[in-house]
Amino acid sequence: MNNVVKGLILYVVGWAAFHYGLFPLMTPKEPTWIVNRYVYYLLFVAYCLAFNLVLKLKPPISLNGLAVFLLGFYFYQSVLFPPIPWTLLITYMMLWGIGTFLYVSQDPATFAEFRKPIVRTVTGEYKLARYIVFASMPLLVGFGTYQFIYPSFPEPVELRTVHPAPPATTRVHGKNFTLEGLQNPFRIDEQDNYKDSFPFLDADKQEYMKSVTEGGTIFFRECHYCHGDQLNGLGMFSHVFNPTPANFVDPGTIAMLRESFLFWRVAKGGPGLPNESTPWSSAMPAWEEHLKTDEIWKVILFEYWYTGWHPRTFDEESSAAGGGE
Amino acid sequence: MLTESRKSLRQLIAGLVIFLVAGLPSTLLAEEAQPADLIQTDKLELGKKVYFKRCVWCHGIEGEGNGPSADRLFTRPRNFIQGTFKIRWTDSGDLPLDQNLIDTVKNGLPGSAMPSWSGILSEDEIEAVVQFVKSLVQDRDFADEDEEVYVQDFGSNPWGTKGPYHFGVPQEDIDAGKEIFLKNKCFECHGGEGRGDGNPTMKDDWGFAIMAADWQQCWNFRGSRRNHFDPFNIVRTISTGMNGTPMPNFKDKITIEDRWKLAAFVNSLCPRKKIDRLTNKPINDFLIKSKRRIGAVSTDFNDPMWQAPDDDDRIKSRASDYEGNQYWHFVAVAGQITRGERNFKPKVDNLWVMSNWSEEEQAIYYLVEYHNRFLSVDPAYPDAVAIQWPGQLEELFGAEKPYFIFGDSKKPVDLWKANFMVKDYSDTAAPNPNGYDLDVTVEELVGNGFEAIFPKETPGGVQVVNSKYHQGRVKIMFKRSLMTENPDKTDVQIPIKTYIPIAFMEWSGWAQEHDEHMAISTWLYTILEPELPKSLLYMPPIMATAWFGFQMWLVWMTKRTRKMAAEGKVK
Repeated sequence: MNNVVKGLILYVVGWAAFHYGLFPLMTPKEPTWIVNRYVYYLLFVAYCLAFNLVLKLKPPISLNGLAVFLLGFYFYQSVLFPPIPWTLLITYMMLWGIGTFLYVSQDPATFAEFRKPIVRTVTGEYKLARYIVFASMPLLVGFGTYQFIYPSFPEPVELRTVHPAPPATTRVHGKNFTLEGLQNPFRIDEQDNYKDSFPFLDADKQEYMKSVTEGGTIFFRECHYCHGDQLNGLGMFSHVFNPTPANFVDPGTIAMLRESFLFWRVAKGGPGLPNESTPWSSAMPAWEEHLKTDEIWKVILFEYWYTGWHPRTFDEESSAAGGGE
Repeated sequence: MLTESRKSLRQLIAGLVIFLVAGLPSTLLAEEAQPADLIQTDKLELGKKVYFKRCVWCHGIEGEGNGPSADRLFTRPRNFIQGTFKIRWTDSGDLPLDQNLIDTVKNGLPGSAMPSWSGILSEDEIEAVVQFVKSLVQDRDFADEDEEVYVQDFGSNPWGTKGPYHFGVPQEDIDAGKEIFLKNKCFECHGGEGRGDGNPTMKDDWGFAIMAADWQQCWNFRGSRRNHFDPFNIVRTISTGMNGTPMPNFKDKITIEDRWKLAAFVNSLCPRKKIDRLTNKPINDFLIKSKRRIGAVSTDFNDPMWQAPDDDDRIKSRASDYEGNQYWHFVAVAGQITRGERNFKPKVDNLWVMSNWSEEEQAIYYLVEYHNRFLSVDPAYPDAVAIQWPGQLEELFGAEKPYFIFGDSKKPVDLWKANFMVKDYSDTAAPNPNGYDLDVTVEELVGNGFEAIFPKETPGGVQVVNSKYHQGRVKIMFKRSLMTENPDKTDVQIPIKTYIPIAFMEWSGWAQEHDEHMAISTWLYTILEPELPKSLLYMPPIMATAWFGFQMWLVWMTKRTRKMAAEGKVK
């Protein structure tokens, strides 16, 4: 049998056996240093090298080039975890393609070998190949042009600033608040002291938990429709709105914000956002219309207690200077 | 002696046989019924901790389903006191298995506020909180000898269909399922086409109003998370009933084979859509494409230009006999919970929108369809649906829009509102199989914020050109010319080939929704698809020919290089 055919069969059969047989075994829920997807990939590469060497197949450079390119594709497409978006995949594969070309053209001999079938197709020594290639390429180009010109209307993408710069002061319920240095009046103790306390159960014994319980009560009466029972932004109505409701469990929201920022955002809601944050499409109510100042602070206290995040704080000096008037 | 002893032996044997025959069913039953799962008291402490951090907010301190959120939820959180649980493998009225409760906590209950807790709570925490919930049950005793549970055997999917979409059930089984549906009068609650529009007076065990499931929105089926199209969910519900609700079990009335067929019928009504794995809802279409028609647009709902398959054609390809190129756009709506009189329990949670525009008429048409179980019978609260546009589109810069509910003081919105009452309709009477005509009045409003919504002084000529209410489904077709005279600058002027913000509002008169107490969508976009460019005809052949020329040049070049190499001019 022809060595090329032999090699092709070993690649395809080997890949199928590895991918459908070994891959599931090598990717358990909890990978170890030995049993993981990357070791699996190395094993597969070792297999490819081994059969070529052991059987002395000496494949032509074009087959080697193809194998190198596809091995890269397989890695980025199926092995690498977490999966990468297709835009990134295309970028990687372009780089990988350039790498493959460098490999193929590493010295004049291999490049000439690689070039030979192409040149023979062009000059007509491979007659059938020339007919097929020369007839199909213009058709492909024509089809590609058609696809390119055919109008398509994708959903427009809109960018917005998620956490805009807050104003210096905000006026809530007739009172001015300077956000710099503003503290939550109900944060009377270290939050971590209440990790093992429980709403309702400890509300009578602990002042802090009383505020948390009241804050939670307000949250579950007013906020969970959007921000979710788990504070993860997946409430019953969340799928309707764009922008989607904030996920407080995510480290990119309340975990990196000050309580005074939250106070401003809760009190003024969507309509209080600057233009770069698309105030016209935020479903967040201006809660000053529905809640008292103290209630807003208690909800904020609850959100931090429930998620376990700590608010970003001011240094001592500035917190001494600011606050409610 | 001998005969007598034989006689007595015979009697003994007969007695044994009778005993065996009479005793057999009860022993069989005894094998199948099992004691309820006992409360594992060692887990209660952890369970209590989990409960009081995670569950108490809806289910309440005593488990009475009266937490802070309860009054604003529809369906209300479950009251645990009576020990009635919806998702079970046990007979109707029986207590659930621990596994059933664990699954419910893990999967949540789609269509309600109960989220999925898997990934949030650990396995241990879930098992513990289930034990704690069982300890909240007061009216039943898991340790009672009489509390036997009968675990049902649901059989297995007879067609071997595969998820996620479960295509491939033979049509004759679906048709047989429909016969079973008719025979068992499922329509009395679930409506003739399964939109849950059968009975407006149902109450749950605690006297709260409750609605029959809408089979055409199976992503809201309780106990169906991430597997919404699996007929098994339906077989389980038919077999076990839904404890605490009017849904009975049909275990003895319908054989298990027929229950699968009935499930196949119910399941066939649910359109196959891509379901968001996190929210359990179909993915919103944020762009509503309006198809271009050269001539006039038909106002007949049955015209091919208004037809599209229910299934998403990215999931199931269109049937070969299907005419037209339309697509149903899924628009989710939620209660207006931002300002004024807020609406936490909207009756409608999605609309289906389709659009055509006519070159000849220079007019645009929108067909808005939605499921609403019952429509208003009180003229003080008509049903209504509205399309909202930016009133002065040309003044908007970039992504700028008016506020998405009723606009704002600087940027007005243009509202096309169709108020309607159903003719000759009663919500409690058997539905008219031919559907109902609607008495529609169109209102054109200008919105400059919640407090500033006024009828236009110079309306732009919005019409409702067709409308119908049939088997729980409302259809309203709007029409307006693309451009209007617009003396007061209150009408949106609709350009072609431009992304135009559009939003929808819906008022359910039966639930006395009115003014800002309504259901809303977010800002979406619509676009009037233009004529296909002429270059589509000539550019592809030109490019193909150019490429062919390049190939010829390549051949010539290669041959020339070879010749030169042969002559020793190049190496």
